[in-house]
Amino acid sequence: MDEEAKEGRYVYCVADKSRTIKFGKIGIKNNNVYTISHKDLCAVVHNCKSQAYVSDDEEKVKNWIKTHQNVIDVASEKLGAVVPLTFDIIVKGSNEDVVDWLRKDYERLKKILRKVKNKQEFGIQIFWDEKKIGDKIAETNQEIQNLKEGINKVSEGEGYFYKNTIETILKREMEKKADEHFKKFYDIIKNYVNNIKIDKIKKEKGKQMLMNLSCLVHENKVKNLGRELERINKLDGFSVKFTGPWPPYSFVSPG
Amino acid sequence: MINIDEKNLKHGVLGLVLALVEVIRDALRLQAIRRVESGRLTEEEIGRLGKALAELDKAIEEIKEEQGVTEAVQGVRDNLDDLANDLINKIINPKEWKEEQQIEPNTPKVG
Repeated sequence: MDEEAKEGRYVYCVADKSRTIKFGKIGIKNNNVYTISHKDLCAVVHNCKSQAYVSDDEEKVKNWIKTHQNVIDVASEKLGAVVPLTFDIIVKGSNEDVVDWLRKDYERLKKILRKVKNKQEFGIQIFWDEKKIGDKIAETNQEIQNLKEGINKVSEGEGYFYKNTIETILKREMEKKADEHFKKFYDIIKNYVNNIKIDKIKKEKGKQMLMNLSCLVHENKVKNLGRELERINKLDGFSVKFTGPWPPYSFVSPG
Repeated sequence: MINIDEKNLKHGVLGLVLALVEVIRDALRLQAIRRVESGRLTEEEIGRLGKALAELDKAIEEIKEEQGVTEAVQGVRDNLDDLANDLINKIINPKEWKEEQQIEPNTPKVG
């Protein structure tokens, strides 16, 4: 479409079925949500203007996003596997333009749906207690023990440099340990999941995040994955945060 | 709506300033360590250096506590770390930098 169409269709997700469903006024700004089908796919949409929803009000945007996610949850309950779209994707035009888009992207959408069929996304975050682990390392590290003894025998000023060296050694050893544990846990987890995405470590108060993963897990493997994570959670100084299931947001980007 | 009031501004500026002070303190500490490791200082000189640095550390902690900016300072330093990491990543992987610069076409994207 070359011209700026006044109308648009806000798209929430695409399902692996062709159904005519009216979900009611559950959409953003209480819009009516319904499906538009093409072949064996359907898009879950609501009618809107062709411009994206923008606002300076953070709360407002947060609520829109919540509504967006809620519609996807409701849709996947009724329609099964869906490809969730990110917030604020609007197809310019009318129902025909949505059908057009489904037609053009048919192969790619089917491919993604095959990938996520019967699977859901879960988040795995593993933390460790820095102080506990650090103390353990210090106790068994000869260099550090020697320096600790040394501190008692020198002046306060010299002791400062001893302490600094201890910190440097500790930091180095902890990084090594963190690496070891990351590899160990990753190897365990990958046996239960179909796809893993390594996300950025987030800083959390009071505990140190070791790994942050988004995983695509087949519904048959979720229980066993949970069991393994519970085992890791029981290790001294470690804790696990296992969240989900979510629609597979992290696993549907092109490529 | 961004709410800028005098208190917030002061808090932010103070956080920034103290983060900078810490970065300079770190540089000083590094230099001091090099001197100590060079073996050219006497025990007394090392002691004086260490004591001065220890007092500097203490003073910085006290100011942060008194002004209530400990978290703000940590935030600034974390951001600086992220920025530095980001830049290095882009230097290592120029493709990523290039991709970020491209304007995305206005077609429905999945994901």
